[in-house]
Amino acid sequence: MARGLAIVLALVCAGLVLGAAGANPIALASKVIQSTFGSSFGLQDVSLLVTPLILTGLAVAVALKVGAWNIGAEGQFYAGAFAATGIGLFIPGPTVVILPLMFVGGALCGVLWILIPTLARAYAGVSELITTLLLNFVGTLLAYYVSTGPWLDPGGHALGTTARVPHSVPEIWGDVHWGFPLAIMLTLVVAGVLNFTRWGYEVRLAGSNAQAALYAGIPFRRHLITVMLLSGAIAGIAGMLEVAGTVHRLQGGISNNFGYLGIMVAVLARGSAIGVLAGAALMAVILNSGIILQTQGINTSTVLAITGLILFFTAIGDELAHYRIVPIETAKK
Amino acid sequence: MDIIAGLLQTSILAGGVLALAALGEVLSERVGVVNLGVEGLIALGAITAIAIVTASPNPVFGLIGALGVGFVVGMIFASATVVLRANQVLCGLALTLMGTGLAATIGKAYSGMPAKATFAPVEIPYLSEIPLLGRALFTQNILVYLIYVVLPVALHLIMFRTRHGLNLRAVGENPAAADAAGISVQKFRFWYVAAGSSLAAGAGAYLTLAFVPSWSEGVVAGRGWIAVALVIFAGYRPINAVLAALLFGAITSLGFVGQARNWPIAAPILSMLPYLGTIALIIMPVLAWHRVRRLMAAPAALGEPYYRDVR
Repeated sequence: MARGLAIVLALVCAGLVLGAAGANPIALASKVIQSTFGSSFGLQDVSLLVTPLILTGLAVAVALKVGAWNIGAEGQFYAGAFAATGIGLFIPGPTVVILPLMFVGGALCGVLWILIPTLARAYAGVSELITTLLLNFVGTLLAYYVSTGPWLDPGGHALGTTARVPHSVPEIWGDVHWGFPLAIMLTLVVAGVLNFTRWGYEVRLAGSNAQAALYAGIPFRRHLITVMLLSGAIAGIAGMLEVAGTVHRLQGGISNNFGYLGIMVAVLARGSAIGVLAGAALMAVILNSGIILQTQGINTSTVLAITGLILFFTAIGDELAHYRIVPIETAKK
Repeated sequence: MDIIAGLLQTSILAGGVLALAALGEVLSERVGVVNLGVEGLIALGAITAIAIVTASPNPVFGLIGALGVGFVVGMIFASATVVLRANQVLCGLALTLMGTGLAATIGKAYSGMPAKATFAPVEIPYLSEIPLLGRALFTQNILVYLIYVVLPVALHLIMFRTRHGLNLRAVGENPAAADAAGISVQKFRFWYVAAGSSLAAGAGAYLTLAFVPSWSEGVVAGRGWIAVALVIFAGYRPINAVLAALLFGAITSLGFVGQARNWPIAAPILSMLPYLGTIALIIMPVLAWHRVRRLMAAPAALGEPYYRDVR
């Protein structure tokens, strides 16, 4: 309830601001709805955006289960994309072999990206908030560096992109590739493990009360490390699928802020797997609106601002949901 | 020697953004509120300053405008985190996303144009002629002296030498005790968070009016997050914070020096230095200085909302 209200309120606010800036919010909204849900191309575009959002959302949500803020999904996404591109471009072999290799490489590079923040948090108590975030910039710079420098497309198709990766995830419907069902499956598997196994129970306990978990003999540190590394791996897979399924090249802005929007997805999901899927769908529609409305002077930055607004109202709504409205007379008694 | 003097000069200039933002964050965290919106506030301040000097070319107006915008946005942030007691991490991230996104949207019109008016370097007579360090220290813009000397010393005196400062720190360490002693926890938190946000936006004005000086998307480049990190490194003390900012500024300017001198390292790789350096600098002290940990510890109630009726 509070969530829905927060989203509606944020969108209304955004509409008012756009209206004040001279746009016609109702016309914009109808254009968005028409081009998103009115054609199969629109739905395909949204599904392509949903895939990475599910995974980055899942990455953030999983880390939150053990009480860690992985706000570095953006960097891990780039790391995964980087590794996948490198393997795809430079290791010769049949797709059946290389594609799984890209998958593993992407996941491992995501793990590598979160390794230092994880160890610093686990052994030195350094807040993972800042360390994971700072590595986002390093990841972005790395992708920018290789795609404009050493791996620049020798064919010279466009500036600042690598050559086309010769292996791609097969498509199932139009442009939508197998990454989409894979992302959903991964979410359900992770949710199942967290909710229905002993390990998952221990992780959830460790996340909700580290002291109590230690007292109960649960190895908090070990769970923290495992889950944070898992989180990095998932974000890395998101990056790998984006390269191998959707973009087929590595380029500077490949992530579309997926990592940051993933935080939003995880917060909206409030720790449930279905929530991650729903949150990712919502963010995909919002992100797609930004892309559709580009000609109207709206862009990915505007989407980011609107996302921030939703997050802000959600945070307030969560807190206010703890209160109950009582009529003054009853309260006086 | 020339390199070192040059390095110092750029370090001071580059560190100014971090120093001002970090001072703001010190204020906010000392009363117990983590403000992760610094990145967004710097972006908002930066674009406000550029927009104002484009309309009326006087850098002082730009700075004042940015400080004002930061204060108002800070009041909104404080209304959410202090008055309504919403989750500080979420609200901070939200503020960063909103600020960065909004600034980039507004900034499209100003992208790439040099600022119409800037805080130009001023050569202080006689002092700037001191050999070696004279030029580095005394041919800076006027804001540098405010940021590195006046403001931190003033904040230090207020925080550690006055009753008001004692109250301020008490609110961050033990709000329940402060409340029992008759200090208004909410008032302290609200106004100091707003003031801290104002300084962060001021850092944005410094960025686009004194350091770069122009607006482009991504000009903030994580400086807000580095500022948050260096507050921890500085043990939540204003004077340490500006010294740390100088150190972090040095890491940044090492990249500039490398580019200027054609080191055989690609520019994007050199640009990674500040982020990697920051990570190293916040991890190492924890491992190295077990003894001073208590002295450098975060305010005990940092990040926790205060409910009078829940103990």
